[in-house]
Amino acid sequence: MSRRRLLLLAALALVSLGTTARAAEAGPTEVRLDWATYNPSSLVLKRFGWLEEDLGKDGIKVTWLYSAGSNKANEAISSGSADLASTAGAAALLARTNGVPLKTVYVFSKPEWTALVVPKDSPLTSVAQLKGKKIAATRGTDPFFFLLRALKEAGLKQSDVEIVNLQHSDGRLALERGNVDAWAGLDPHMAAAELRSGARLLHRNIDFNTYGTLNAREDFLQKYPATVRRVLAQYSRAADWIRKHPDEAVALLAEAGKIDVDVARRQLLERTQFPDGYDFKPVSVALQTVVPILLSEKLVASDADPSKALSELFLERPSGTFLPVGSR
Amino acid sequence: MLVGADTAGVSAPRPTALRLPVWRTAVRRLAPWLLPVGLLAGWFLATDGFHLLPAHQLPSPRAVARTARDLLAGGELFRHVAASVQRVALGFLLGAGVAIVLGTWVGLSRFAERVLDPTLQAIRNVPSLAWVPFLLLWMGIDELPKVTLVAIGAFFPVYVNLVSGIRQTDRKLVELGQVFGLSELGLVRHIVLPAALPSLLTGLRIGLGQSWLFLVAAELIASTRGLGFLLIDGQNSARADIMLVGILLLAVLGKASDGALRLLERRLLAWTDGFGGVA
Amino acid sequence: MTAASAISAEHVSKRYPGGDFVLRSLSLEVAPSEIVTLLGPSGSGKSTVLRLLSGLEREHEGKLLVQGLPVQGPTPSVGMMFQEPRLLPWRTVRDNVAFGLPRTLSKELGATRVEQLLTLVQLTEARDKLPKELSGGMAQRVALARCLAGAPSVLLLDEPFSAVDALTRMHLQELLLSIWTHTRLTMLLVTHDIDEALFLSDRVAVLRGSPANIEETLVVPLPRPRDRRDEALGPLRSHLVEALRLAGNGHSHEAAEGPGGLIAGW
Repeated sequence: MSRRRLLLLAALALVSLGTTARAAEAGPTEVRLDWATYNPSSLVLKRFGWLEEDLGKDGIKVTWLYSAGSNKANEAISSGSADLASTAGAAALLARTNGVPLKTVYVFSKPEWTALVVPKDSPLTSVAQLKGKKIAATRGTDPFFFLLRALKEAGLKQSDVEIVNLQHSDGRLALERGNVDAWAGLDPHMAAAELRSGARLLHRNIDFNTYGTLNAREDFLQKYPATVRRVLAQYSRAADWIRKHPDEAVALLAEAGKIDVDVARRQLLERTQFPDGYDFKPVSVALQTVVPILLSEKLVASDADPSKALSELFLERPSGTFLPVGSR
Repeated sequence: MLVGADTAGVSAPRPTALRLPVWRTAVRRLAPWLLPVGLLAGWFLATDGFHLLPAHQLPSPRAVARTARDLLAGGELFRHVAASVQRVALGFLLGAGVAIVLGTWVGLSRFAERVLDPTLQAIRNVPSLAWVPFLLLWMGIDELPKVTLVAIGAFFPVYVNLVSGIRQTDRKLVELGQVFGLSELGLVRHIVLPAALPSLLTGLRIGLGQSWLFLVAAELIASTRGLGFLLIDGQNSARADIMLVGILLLAVLGKASDGALRLLERRLLAWTDGFGGVA
Repeated sequence: MTAASAISAEHVSKRYPGGDFVLRSLSLEVAPSEIVTLLGPSGSGKSTVLRLLSGLEREHEGKLLVQGLPVQGPTPSVGMMFQEPRLLPWRTVRDNVAFGLPRTLSKELGATRVEQLLTLVQLTEARDKLPKELSGGMAQRVALARCLAGAPSVLLLDEPFSAVDALTRMHLQELLLSIWTHTRLTMLLVTHDIDEALFLSDRVAVLRGSPANIEETLVVPLPRPRDRRDEALGPLRSHLVEALRLAGNGHSHEAAEGPGGLIAGW
């Protein structure tokens, strides 16, 4: 065969290979997602390896990163260290308003995971009495937003109190050591504080909790929508399992989160629900009330538009199929 | 008798400065600004110019300027700067003060060196961030652990340089002091400490730089105010512009405080006879 | 030994720890207002004699007396000049001279004395200069003024002019002589410069051997001020050259002597 014909054949072969590749989605080589003690489904997935099993069939590696809070999860997405990360709904909105390119793709829980906590023998009885006091909170997380909204309700501003920035577990320590007067707590640390040191919940409001949302980085979502779909399918499976096996779920949470069983029980069975993960409507409604706080407490840049960010936050789902916004 | 003043000798006295042509002085004045202006231009081009980096990872200079203006207008910027400057000032004075006392003692006494120095050298190798959890545990979350951390940062460069400066005092000068009947205390006061001054000032400059570093480490955890707090607040809230405001202010303040020390150094060390670098 | 000796050394021996004897049974008398030179090759222990007399070194065998009192440490009546000026670099010329003033002197009297001394060494214009701005000769003049500030009665000089050029050296020698003429200080000078010895001294003691001892003492009978070109110096000079050559043959590598000793010794 002449040299030229050989080259032509080779070129044809390559082209045909290319077209076949374009027909199916070229999956990623790796999916990086987070696990956290405030995201029980992630712990289930990590324990049973369902994601590795499913994605491994196509040679996709699964890497798990630990998130100590919504703030860390947002950072992971922003810096590109994670493709999917779990935060509170309000934290996802904050991130998107500030320019982080993420989209909420799933609601992994409806929790009451935050409240204002005071030590056992605290004389405080109302939020209004927090004026001038020291409160521990992790900025950029649901407890932080909860705190601000509770203060606003009581007629106080951020500047009326001293908010000490401490990550969730350090906040609990500070409360128990008496370094702060109150703490915007988060489960499981909050449950642990209640059960171990007798800490009291000064103020609760289930409506001020903004759901547990799983977010994907926009470019990852655009490139690999099918892969994201597969992750969410496993998430649904995990939620289902938790609903059907509550006691085993508590044991799993206790072991994976390194917390005591009674703490895990309070967090999971008393304070967490697992609704339809694809139903964003209630989250959107809850976040409407967060928008004004973002602006009034200057959590976003002065020219940012949280409303616009909210309108773009969720993955659109036209009748069952799963497509990123903008592609038809 | 003596025929006028002699000019030849072991070492010739220093020549006075020459007058340079105008353009040379202009270049000299502009030289320190070349790099910062270049970096600023590069930053602008990478963001607003060619959008090489996403805004949430590297905000444009304009965005950072606007954020700085907002913070300034609200009075928060002043509060953050004041908090950090206060902590650095207190911590630096504390750390340097203790270092001068201990350093003088160890420098003068070989026995003190044998007792104190090995332990101090071991402590010296603990990195700043490793101290934070302990200090928080022992001292709570208010100003004390932060100022203490800054003091730790300031202590070691001052101590090490002072001891070295004292030990390196020219033996000939000490002998001179002895011949002129100086007591031990007199020798320390009139000969050893002045001779150690160049080393001490070097140590102070490095110590001040370390103070700023350790300050940021302290403010990253459990703070409400300060430039380090701005860094972590920006990090937590996905506000890279706030982080940059913090970083830039730290750079400016660090440079300004170093400049002040440099000025002091120049004044106090006018008598030194170093080679001073090539023009 | 005469009761009136300004400096008296009797059978003085000195050895440094771990080393050989530097001096062995050295004896020397210096009368008040006398200028005596210790001449010898480098490493011959000449500096050691001065260091013992100044009180910088203490351990020795034998008797050492200054102004009739045993040497127990540095005293204000004994001044010492070194080979290097050893000025305090952070003090001006004036403050360096002031360093030598007695602690008990009042500020005003001290300032006056400093001015007088600066005039004496012809450095009044340099009073506010720093040591780094001075030439070698100027610096040594400051050192000399500093020495005199304490009004000593005995001056020990350890090769004070060996680090400057020949011309400056001569000027400094003349300055020293003029100071002696005014103050009649007792001076013990250590040098390896024969001409310097002959220009300044009443007697020249030649140090020889290892450990060192004074092998001979030459009297210089010429009246002062001396003319360097005087023919009478000739034979004295030759004599000393010969004596030094003999001394040079027998010297050892004494590293313990002091500045200049180590390099010159090999």
